[in-house]
Amino acid sequence: MIQKKVCMLGTFAVGKTSLVRRFVESIYSDKYHTTVGVKIDKKVVQVDASEIMLMLWDIEGTDTEHELRTSYLRGASGYLLVADGTRQDTLYKALALQTKVTEHLGTIPFLLLINKADLTDQWSIREREMTALREKGWEVIQTSAKTGFGVEDAFHSLAKKLAEA
Amino acid sequence: MAHPGTDLMKVADAQDILDEEKSDHTSDEGTMAELRSLLLGPAEVQLAEVHERLLDPQRQVEEVSRVLPDAIAVRSRQDDDLTTALAPTVSAALEYSVRKNPQPLADAIFPIMGPAIRKAIAAALSGMAQSFNQTLAHSMSARGLAWRWEALRTGRPFSEVVLLHTLLFRVEQIFLIHLETGLLLRHVSAANADVQDADMVSGMLTAIQDFVRDSFNTRQGERLETLQVGELIVWIEQGPQAILAGVIRGNAPQQLRQVFQETVEKIHLQYGTALKKFSGDATAFVGTQPLLEDCLQSGYDLEQQKVSSGRKITPLRVVLGVVVLALVIWGFFWLRDRRRWDAYVERLQAEPGIVVTDQGKQGGKHFVSGLRDPLSRDPAIMLQDTGLDSGSVVERWQPFQALTPDFVLLRAKRSLEPPTTVELHLDNGVLEANGFASHQWILETRRLARMLPGVSQFREDGLFDLERIENPLLMFDVDQTQIRSDQQDKLDQLVADLVHLRQLAGNKKVRLEITGHADGSGTETKNSTLSQGRAETVATALKERLLAWANLTIATVGSKEKLREEFTEADRATNRSVTLKVIVNAPN
Repeated sequence: MIQKKVCMLGTFAVGKTSLVRRFVESIYSDKYHTTVGVKIDKKVVQVDASEIMLMLWDIEGTDTEHELRTSYLRGASGYLLVADGTRQDTLYKALALQTKVTEHLGTIPFLLLINKADLTDQWSIREREMTALREKGWEVIQTSAKTGFGVEDAFHSLAKKLAEA
Repeated sequence: MAHPGTDLMKVADAQDILDEEKSDHTSDEGTMAELRSLLLGPAEVQLAEVHERLLDPQRQVEEVSRVLPDAIAVRSRQDDDLTTALAPTVSAALEYSVRKNPQPLADAIFPIMGPAIRKAIAAALSGMAQSFNQTLAHSMSARGLAWRWEALRTGRPFSEVVLLHTLLFRVEQIFLIHLETGLLLRHVSAANADVQDADMVSGMLTAIQDFVRDSFNTRQGERLETLQVGELIVWIEQGPQAILAGVIRGNAPQQLRQVFQETVEKIHLQYGTALKKFSGDATAFVGTQPLLEDCLQSGYDLEQQKVSSGRKITPLRVVLGVVVLALVIWGFFWLRDRRRWDAYVERLQAEPGIVVTDQGKQGGKHFVSGLRDPLSRDPAIMLQDTGLDSGSVVERWQPFQALTPDFVLLRAKRSLEPPTTVELHLDNGVLEANGFASHQWILETRRLARMLPGVSQFREDGLFDLERIENPLLMFDVDQTQIRSDQQDKLDQLVADLVHLRQLAGNKKVRLEITGHADGSGTETKNSTLSQGRAETVATALKERLLAWANLTIATVGSKEKLREEFTEADRATNRSVTLKVIVNAPN
């Protein structure tokens, strides 16, 4: 089975950990975030006829991209940028993170997940912002850690990109 | 730049040619000198310069000093010859410098001395503490004693022997991890090892290494090498592209670290290209399995191998083994026999009526001799309880009479044979009898008691003489079955004595036999009827007055026997009577 290192990135409380919690195999508790700053989980995704094992490095949320521990990015084949649909600033921070990651890893496959899709009435990220990003060639997926909406699709989509890369 | 030597050669050649020309045309010297100065003017200046450079040491020093650093650098890159050549001089120089004034060198190495010494002391202390703990833990056990013997035999320090035996470790898991991505390339584990998801553990190990490096500002290329939690250690060996992490339980020797290092090196050698090109497919590293499995060592096995290979079976060892075994078995039985004998003698000494005067072993047999009261417990029976073989014990006992109160009383009971209705007590040499007994026994006892050793006096205050019931005669008139009227006092006294007897008898069953008698005046048939009638009269009278005595049985007998021969009227009156007899514990 092919293995790939994948990072989960995003600012505080955007729901990164909640996103993976229900969909991955885990042996470590969430307290690793506050101690080591990263928690590693595993997700096996079926892509066409083969399986691909995503080793998910769920990196602790930071307030700014400067605080990101870049050594955890090393060797990643792709990443998931996570923003909170109800907090517009999280999208801007995600964009800054993306720039920082590109500096370190070059251009590698990634997805932008706009989480908390179950709270669309409270959303502050506008549709045209997402459209603008899509026009730039980004893949933007709306997810909900609460309902599970879009999560499997997101993992599958990233795995597919990695398999093709 | 041309070689100065070459210029010199050219100049010399030109000089020769000119010298030849000079010999041919000496007359034309002036012209020649001019020509020479025209042709060789600049070269002559150069030549003079070179000459000067060669001969002036000061200039040579300056020139060498200009090229020396570069020359050393160039040569050091090529090979180690310069180092080898300089080593004796440098060491001699250091030695000289220290001899001359040690201070500058001491100042120079001071910053590195402290940490080095601290490190060495810490290592030594940690080793000592470990050795001390183990020594304490093992010094008192049976195994500890065996090790102590081994230390004595081999001349090694005890702590070293302990360490050797307790150096138990087991490599439980080996992870081969891609350095760049933290992805697992290969994982092997020992049987029964507790294994978590190796993929995630591998990632987390890498993350923790990154974490430590980021958090504690380590130097370039330095990484976390050891994780330790109690007796569990993770040793991480790093290569340029991959790391090898070994999970070890116990106290692993430093040589194991070398095994790990060599394994990492071999893997890089054999899989260098695969490691560089790795993009998530670990199948290329299946072949590392045997290399990694070689790292799954355990200290116990190595130790056992060493021990077993060092002990060959030789006939001498077999004989020695048998002898030692026989000695151990013999020793066991000897000790057991000895303990049993000691316990037996102790019991004999504690036994009343037995005095041990000598004991020991003679001719392979235990012997014991002394004094024994025949009334004491039989030593032969006591011997049976000890487990000792009676055939291996010789006993010699001299009879004697023990004068302890127990034995005096016991002997009194044997000699006096008191009826069950009598209790004997001994108090300070005074033998006391309580209860009731026949007149005859009382007479006998009075006589015998005085002759018993240890008895100074016989006291019978508490003894009721049955004579008081059996002696009185209740008289009857001629041809009458009614008690004579003057016999009433006698009857009252008899009843009073019987009531007293009842108290003494307690719950013992007592049978009162009443025998009626008649004089020889009437016919035999009539006398028989009279006797029976008289007995029944008394029985009825007594029954009425002794209703409360439940355990009393009254039986009547009419006797044909006369109490005495009849010569006078008094004899005949005596024969017209009733007599009583007390029988204890008689059947109902």
